[in-house]
Formats: sequence, structure tokens, C-alpha cells
Amino acid sequence: MTSLSRRAFVTAATASLLAGCAGAAPHQVTTTAHRRQAPAPTATPTARTALGRSVPVRLRIPAIGVDTPLLRLGLAADGTVQVPPITAHDRAGWYRYSPTPGQAGPSVVLGHVTVGSYGDGVFRRLAELRRGDEVETRLENGRSAVFTVGEVRTVAKAQFPTKDVYGDVDRPELRLITCGGPRSGHGYLDNVIVFATLTGTRG
Amino acid sequence: MRRTVLSAAALACTAVLAGTVPAFADSTTPRPVPTVVASEAPSTAQSARPSEVPSPVPTRVSKRDRGQVAAVPAGAPDTGVTESSSGSGSEAALIGGGAAAALAAGAVLFTVRRRRATGA
Repeated sequence: MTSLSRRAFVTAATASLLAGCAGAAPHQVTTTAHRRQAPAPTATPTARTALGRSVPVRLRIPAIGVDTPLLRLGLAADGTVQVPPITAHDRAGWYRYSPTPGQAGPSVVLGHVTVGSYGDGVFRRLAELRRGDEVETRLENGRSAVFTVGEVRTVAKAQFPTKDVYGDVDRPELRLITCGGPRSGHGYLDNVIVFATLTGTRG
Repeated sequence: MRRTVLSAAALACTAVLAGTVPAFADSTTPRPVPTVVASEAPSTAQSARPSEVPSPVPTRVSKRDRGQVAAVPAGAPDTGVTESSSGSGSEAALIGGGAAAALAAGAVLFTVRRRRATGA
């Protein structure tokens, strides 16, 4: 082979190599572009998830002037729900076997309407709440779950709607419970129940 | 002459190689097909399956695991204590005691006056 033909083959080989290398770059770009687009849809479900589990420490209901720390309530020996103690500075309590506010399910908060000789309880004006009023629960982790009232129901204690109050639901909800209606010798004949759903978070 | 023929052959080969090699390794025509197929097919397979399959499962599991309300209380909550039912015991005792004392005092006064009237 002469020097000219060698040069020609070297040129041809170089040209083919360059052409091969040049073609690889755009393919990698499309792959990375595809990978960058992929996380977007997976991020959507995480954005829709409710607040993480954190115990509620405070309750605010601006419409009726409620701003109270929250106690933790459990079950009494007879299987009924515990209620806050009768004290001068009445506070509401969160039922600790219910979901924390902002998690899927009905989070239950109870408070007195009256506390005997001490006068009005923390939920004295609960029955005045109306659809659309806002209820904010502040959590131990510093975040807040904001609920909007959907319904206020007064029911006879003898026909307490256990399933509606404590039954499973497919979204974060809140129940506020106190007593109401006509008075009997020792207490009240009815319960006032506020049903609210999560509409926002703060913090 | 030989040189000329060889040079022409080498140039022809170069031209052929330059034209054919990119077509195998890369190029314009085959690329759209594999990239479209490779990028769309896996993307639907990956994004549809993982996002549809895992998302319903954790939400359902979490609902049931957390049990929503773990222990449902019995009956209706007693969240109202009327004034008459609380703290009224001590007040009633005070009133009753006061009334008894007043009655006793009246009885003593009556007896004393009666005795004085009888004695006089």
C-alpha cells in the first residue's frame, strides 16, 4: 500500500469514528430528559398526603372565641369516653384513640358546655357554629391543621350517632362534641356535634 | 497509473464509509424510532404502573392500620354539668344548718319567755 492510499484509509477511519461518536450524544440527552420528566407524576401523590401523625396541643375556633389547650382523653372504666375535669379554667380534650388532626379519619375533640358552679364551659357556644366556619388545631410538631365546618348537629343522647362520629372516613375530618339541649337534673339531654373536614394546613 | 487507481479506490472507500458508518452507529433515520419507542414505552410502563400500584395500596393500608378510631367509646359523652348538680351539696348543707340553728334559737327563746311568764 502506498502512502497516499494509507492516508486515504486513515482519513476514512477517522471520519467513521467521528460520525459514530457524534451520534451518541443526542441519545443520552433524550434519556436524561425522560428521567427528569419521570419524577413529576410520582410527586403528585406525596403532595396530596395528609399531615403526619402529631398530637394536637391547642384548638382555636375564632367564630366563637375559643382558644384552648388540649388535654389527652382516654376511656373511662365503664367504656365511655373520658371528659375534661370540672375546673374553673375549662379546657377541651382530644380523644387519644382517634386519629390526630390532619390524618385520615375522624379526630375527636370534647369539651364541656357548662362546668357546674364554675359557669360556662369551653364549648359553651359550640352550637352557634355555622357551615364554613374555620377550626384550627395546632399540633405538637408546630404545624396546624385547618378544618372547615360542614354540619352542626344536635342529637338526643339516647340516640347518639356513634357510627357517624367514630366511623371510618376516607379523608381527614374533625368532630367537636359537647352537651346541649334541655337540662335534666344532673346534665343535658342532648349532644351538640360539629362535623368538619380538613381544608388546609399551616406551618 | 497504479497510484491514481489506488488513490481513486481509497477515496471511493472513504466516501462509502463516511456515508454508511453513521447510519449504523447513529443516526438520523433510525434514531427517532428507537428513542420514541424506548422513551415512550418504558415511560408509560414505569410511570403508570408504579404510580398506580403503590399509591392505592399505602392509602388503604394506612387507613386500616391506623384503624382510624382504635377504640370506639360506648354511649354518649357527658360533657355538661349543670349548676344545680355540682357544688350544690355544700350550699344546701349551709342553708339547712342555718335553718336548723334559727329554729333551735326560736325554741329556746320561746321556752325562756314561757318560763318567765309562768314564774312571774
